[in-house]
Amino acid sequence: MKIRLLLGPQRPVINLGQAMRDASVPDGPVAVIAAGWQEAESDVDDVATAAAREVINLALYRRADEVFAGAPELQAAYRERQEQLQELQRLYAQRLRQTMAAARQMLRASGSSSLVGPEQRHAIAQLRALDRHHLQRLQVMHAEFDAAFDIRSNALLAQHAAEIAAHLANVQTVVITGGNVAVLLNRLQLFDLGNSLASRHLVAWSAGAMALTERVVLFHDNAPQGRRNPEIFGAGLGIVPHHVLLPDAKRRLRTGDRIRLALFSRRFAPSACIALDSGGVLRFAGDHIAMANDARQIAANGRLRRVKVS
Amino acid sequence: MNPTLRKLFRKGTPPQAEIDAFIAAGEFPLVDGSDVTFVYHGTADQVYLRCWISGFDTAQPLQELSGTELWATTINLPAGSRIEYKFEVIANGQRRLIVDPLNDVLAHDPFGANSVCQGAGYERPLWTLHDPEARGGAIELARLNSGAFRDSRDVSIYLPARFRRNRRYPLLVVHDGHDFLRYADLKTVLDNLIHYLEIPQMIVALTQSPDRLKEYAADDRHAAFIADDLLPYMAEHWPLIDDRAARGMMGASFGGVAALHAAWKFPERFGNLLLQSGSFAFSDIGRHQRGPVFDPVARFMNAFREEPGELSGKIYMSCGIYESLIYENRSLLPRLQQQGIDVRFEEVRDAHNWENWRDRLRTGLSWLFPGPLWLVYE
Repeated sequence: MKIRLLLGPQRPVINLGQAMRDASVPDGPVAVIAAGWQEAESDVDDVATAAAREVINLALYRRADEVFAGAPELQAAYRERQEQLQELQRLYAQRLRQTMAAARQMLRASGSSSLVGPEQRHAIAQLRALDRHHLQRLQVMHAEFDAAFDIRSNALLAQHAAEIAAHLANVQTVVITGGNVAVLLNRLQLFDLGNSLASRHLVAWSAGAMALTERVVLFHDNAPQGRRNPEIFGAGLGIVPHHVLLPDAKRRLRTGDRIRLALFSRRFAPSACIALDSGGVLRFAGDHIAMANDARQIAANGRLRRVKVS
Repeated sequence: MNPTLRKLFRKGTPPQAEIDAFIAAGEFPLVDGSDVTFVYHGTADQVYLRCWISGFDTAQPLQELSGTELWATTINLPAGSRIEYKFEVIANGQRRLIVDPLNDVLAHDPFGANSVCQGAGYERPLWTLHDPEARGGAIELARLNSGAFRDSRDVSIYLPARFRRNRRYPLLVVHDGHDFLRYADLKTVLDNLIHYLEIPQMIVALTQSPDRLKEYAADDRHAAFIADDLLPYMAEHWPLIDDRAARGMMGASFGGVAALHAAWKFPERFGNLLLQSGSFAFSDIGRHQRGPVFDPVARFMNAFREEPGELSGKIYMSCGIYESLIYENRSLLPRLQQQGIDVRFEEVRDAHNWENWRDRLRTGLSWLFPGPLWLVYE
């Protein structure tokens, strides 16, 4: 069984090396995907030091830039698709605001459970329906783009894909760093790396960990402009199913707001919402958690509890 | 009396050496919770505190402390407040308006400088200060011909660090842009907020009117200048996202009126407005109570309040509660909300000045243009 090791942010606690040793990640070089760091993608020395391994930087961000620079038509189409996705996300966020407000009000409502309970369940069901609708719309948009643009026929893209495949052939393990999850997912999808990654041991943190799940949920309760409702950003690679990853939760999540957390948990159920802070470790065996350290799950009552290992 | 002053005078009139030591050691004005004591030291016949705060007398007299050249007055200033002031010193029949000689904290504006009183709890936000880790953007100067004004206008253009021509950027148009750079540290704020990922990399067009009280007062020529001269010029020369949701305008005081008016005249062009201490004079009946320079503003605001038209998108408004315009700004809020506009309104314990507008930029800009921070999980 392939190792799936998900970590919290590597600042301030760097636990990459220790976690890899504890999980018995096979010796040998590792490939690194740091596309989430964008222009800083090449600065993977710290990863090599922490992992104490030779690292091969797959350089997806740079490669994508080269592909786009050599194919203006593809770049234009890709950009247009990105802008459509952003617009769709804006529309979803607008609808979400009302639906979330209604659901929060229902969760705060007092009265007999026979009266209030069905209203709460229905409000949450509406929220889940909106999330499903958004996810479907995103998938349709991606499918339409793929149908309209035979992206795989691009020679430079094919050349880069071949180089990446050659690098991956020499490693058993891939490390995926944090960073901008949108950029990371975009590059992973551009080079169609889902299957290649699934067949290797994977170590990932923060945005990298989110990208491995089925649904990437964006969240930040403490942004300078104020709270924003958690939003489904899109489908991840689905290699780690049934879990929603919430990195850096101590800083980004208002953990004292029980109603907010309860809604978070019930909205994404049956997936488990896992808060993973710096120093945290989750090791999966198949689709369940085999080992957890410093990881907490949001319970349906809005409390944070230790992750159960099965 | 302020405890430090009381201690100084505990044995009657203090000797000059103690007064000198008191002045050398003190941080002025003296802040003791919500009591703020302003102190002037010097020969004078009368001394007044001038702080142009709505709700206060324009001039508050300082009392001479017996047998000394110290003058003092105490006001109640709620926590978190920030006010600007001067002393009016009358001596030998002459009046002088001066900054507080005992206070090094100054705020500058096009008319000079004021002393700054930082009430208990106020701290200048760190993101308004230069951060050596934040890469600086560049400012380029351009001159464009204006069909609307039948002349040519200077525009400064802020380009973010790591600007690339093969990317596309949101656009923000700033009224009184050069003043925002000079007095509200706008470039530093943009550099920092972009570096902190709180706003996206963006291009900012900084305009400056040669006759703002006229051109910013709901002047159709100005709206046409923005819509028909500036926007096409920017689109032609810079890689911009062609979407109203990625375009914004901002302005303070009359600049806020100019921004709202231009958006009202051309609602399809802008999806975001940042309006600070807008001079939104209006009248429910009869004449407005401000000067004639506000006449065109009031005509526009009355028309706007009657029919906001197609204006939509997001609007961030802020206003100091120590400025008289708080009434007009508060009054505008429900009208915008009735229109279905997504409005965020922030009231602050400050007045009509550039540092108030500077301190609100983070919330306003990051709300209108959320940066990739939302997407970044390190």
